[in-house]
Amino acid sequence: MQRRKRHLSFDKISFMVVFLGLPLLIYLVLVIYPFLQAVHLSLTNWRGFGPISEADYVWLDNYVYLFTSSKFMLALGHNAMLAVFLPLITIILALTLAIVITVGGHSHGTIRGIRGASFYRIVSFFPYVIPGIIIGLMWRLLLDPGMGLVNGLLTTIGLDQFKDFAWLGKEETAMPVSMLVIVWGFVGFYMLLFIAAIKSIPSEIYEAVRIDGAGRWTTAVRVTIPLIRDNIQTAYIYMGIIALDAFIYMVALNPTGGPNYSTLVMSQELFNTAFGGQNMWGRGSAMGVVLALVTLAFSGLVFLVNRLTGGKDAVSY
Amino acid sequence: MTYSLHRRGFLKGALAAGALIPLAACAGGGDDPKATPAGSEPAGGETTTQADPNNPFGLKVPSDVDAAIFNGGYGIAYAEFAGAMVEKQHDGVKVKVSKIQDATTELQPRFAGGDPPDVIDNAGKGKIGLAAILDQLEDLNDVIDSNNYEGDPIRDTLYAGVLEPGTIDDKLAVINYVLTVFGLWYSASLFEENGWEPPKTWDDAIALGAKAKEKGKYLFLWGNEASDYYMELAITSAIKEGGDEVRLALDNLEEGCWSKPALQAVFGKMEEIVKAGYVKPGGGGTQFTAAQAAWSQAQEALLYPSGAWIENEMKSQTKEDFKMTGTPVPTVTASPSKPFEAIHSAADEPYIVPSQGKNVAGGKEFMRAMLSKEAATNFAKEILSPTIVKDTVPEDGFGSTALVSQIGMLGAAGDNVFTWKFNAFYGMGNDTVVLWNSFLDGKLSTAELTSKLQEVTDAIRNDDAIEKFKAS
Repeated sequence: MQRRKRHLSFDKISFMVVFLGLPLLIYLVLVIYPFLQAVHLSLTNWRGFGPISEADYVWLDNYVYLFTSSKFMLALGHNAMLAVFLPLITIILALTLAIVITVGGHSHGTIRGIRGASFYRIVSFFPYVIPGIIIGLMWRLLLDPGMGLVNGLLTTIGLDQFKDFAWLGKEETAMPVSMLVIVWGFVGFYMLLFIAAIKSIPSEIYEAVRIDGAGRWTTAVRVTIPLIRDNIQTAYIYMGIIALDAFIYMVALNPTGGPNYSTLVMSQELFNTAFGGQNMWGRGSAMGVVLALVTLAFSGLVFLVNRLTGGKDAVSY
Repeated sequence: MTYSLHRRGFLKGALAAGALIPLAACAGGGDDPKATPAGSEPAGGETTTQADPNNPFGLKVPSDVDAAIFNGGYGIAYAEFAGAMVEKQHDGVKVKVSKIQDATTELQPRFAGGDPPDVIDNAGKGKIGLAAILDQLEDLNDVIDSNNYEGDPIRDTLYAGVLEPGTIDDKLAVINYVLTVFGLWYSASLFEENGWEPPKTWDDAIALGAKAKEKGKYLFLWGNEASDYYMELAITSAIKEGGDEVRLALDNLEEGCWSKPALQAVFGKMEEIVKAGYVKPGGGGTQFTAAQAAWSQAQEALLYPSGAWIENEMKSQTKEDFKMTGTPVPTVTASPSKPFEAIHSAADEPYIVPSQGKNVAGGKEFMRAMLSKEAATNFAKEILSPTIVKDTVPEDGFGSTALVSQIGMLGAAGDNVFTWKFNAFYGMGNDTVVLWNSFLDGKLSTAELTSKLQEVTDAIRNDDAIEKFKAS
């Protein structure tokens, strides 16, 4: 008893208040409370403008509506598609670039990247410096059918079928093109993340591998990737969360959800439900809750897959 | 429902009044106790009697009025002008006019917190859906029943039918300030140069499309966000063909409303135009003002369906000597239910006064100033667009061909002016935009467009969470 009392000195208490209590309070007020409030709202028919106390409880009606709404299910499907493809494409591209830039250089002398590595590094990182909304608006103009740069270039090199071709206005191309824009925006960041990870691998390992006669491919697949596996997992989760949101890009590229709703995502449908049209905040909140649950499930899934494929067997150097 | 709301509104008003009187007295006292407001008002921030025609809503003097004005194509200078008029009329009243861009996202927290502005110009893409706030708005009939600053009863100074769009079940929830004339817009100089005539029927339009093609031009073009301008065109044309029955069927979300013969005939003609290649391809991937510039600047297409705001919107991107002119939309047959001159004209730029506002009387007083001839004339002159107040535009339209043609169209139409509100009221914009993009791209046939529009309409009719209005 006495020992414990002595332990709670003023120093210790003030430390706990400032470094534990305060952040916890901020977290509770700014993160947990709004989250609980969203769950609460999702059970009501609140319209966003009147007092919340006057809204009626509709319990699970909003959720029933979501899962019978073909538009929301379509948006959910698009998010799932993005969550599969976006991380995959981005990470493969970023990893390739990172390997080429760090260890892909000449196979004699010290371990180094290809010539002009720093130039490529800067060029591919550049898009990440631009805010998402600007990327979206910029690409929308670049992809303009009549006066866009993309069609301009394509028709100049003789591909006349792309005259007035509406990349974002055709059901077949709207989604793939939107994905490419997002990848373009993020590949540089993940490349940098992987470069940092690869640089922390001691070069002795690469020298040893090289003496053993491994080529570039074998080195990348059997040495580099296993050693930065945790970074790849983190990148996968981050990119997946971006894919499950994707709001800014989709709204900027195709404000109305794309031809025949081919690029509509959940967050966009949420925004339209709460802020547009009917101002159904209850339904919007229900969408938010579903989106949060899907995101959690996605992170869980990535951890699980990593574990099942041997990620738990620590590889170290 | 309605009864209880009225009661609630009344209680709130009583509470607010109770809280405001001492507050206003404090404000007056703290500032300068000796300075009494000019005019006949007694000192000490007392309200004047209800009957005072100079202060019909019992505006407290001194007090602050908080006006949130959409900063779109019209800017906010015209509202500041009206605010200054209120300040001049009631010495001691301060009107704060602030800009808003997106009413819903910017004002939702204030509504939810019980502190909305006293008067709001609820316009633009981000406007608050009327259905969501209807029960929180003041009935503005008393503004219309009051006299304007020139001393005339406001009701007598307005164009006919302009209060209709804002009236829901006898409550004037919204005063739409700007009179918008819809039609087909074209360059009078280009048409004259080529000896073309604006089309009177859809067959004329198809023939004109062929002539345009010879010149390497298109008949129509469209932009992604504004594809539903073509729905406006189709509905107007169909109402002219089939009469008010079509309008009522749509407004009342009737089953099978989109299958009415008049609408089907118009859709069929439009499909013919799309199939003939008279519509510039790629509109679905083009930002709408970029598309509109291809009409007003590059003159790649002859006609564009829009409201009269198009002149102001494209001002900086219109070819010199374009002579923008409006014409009523084509009809299907030569003998439609309503004459060719009939037009879709609606009052827009919706002003609302929330009941929860701190200074409801101030909000109403602001509207009274806006509806005075001085403010309305100032608007017409600066913006080149008529308001709902009559007789503010001179013959020469302040030098604008579009304004002259609007007044001309209004004059020629006489009583044949109509409007509808189902798509705006139920917030169907996004759904219809997507469908019309596909239709104009040739991806949807008339039958498919009809069934999909019907699906959107049916979904709203069958959604019990959405209150409906009844049109008549």
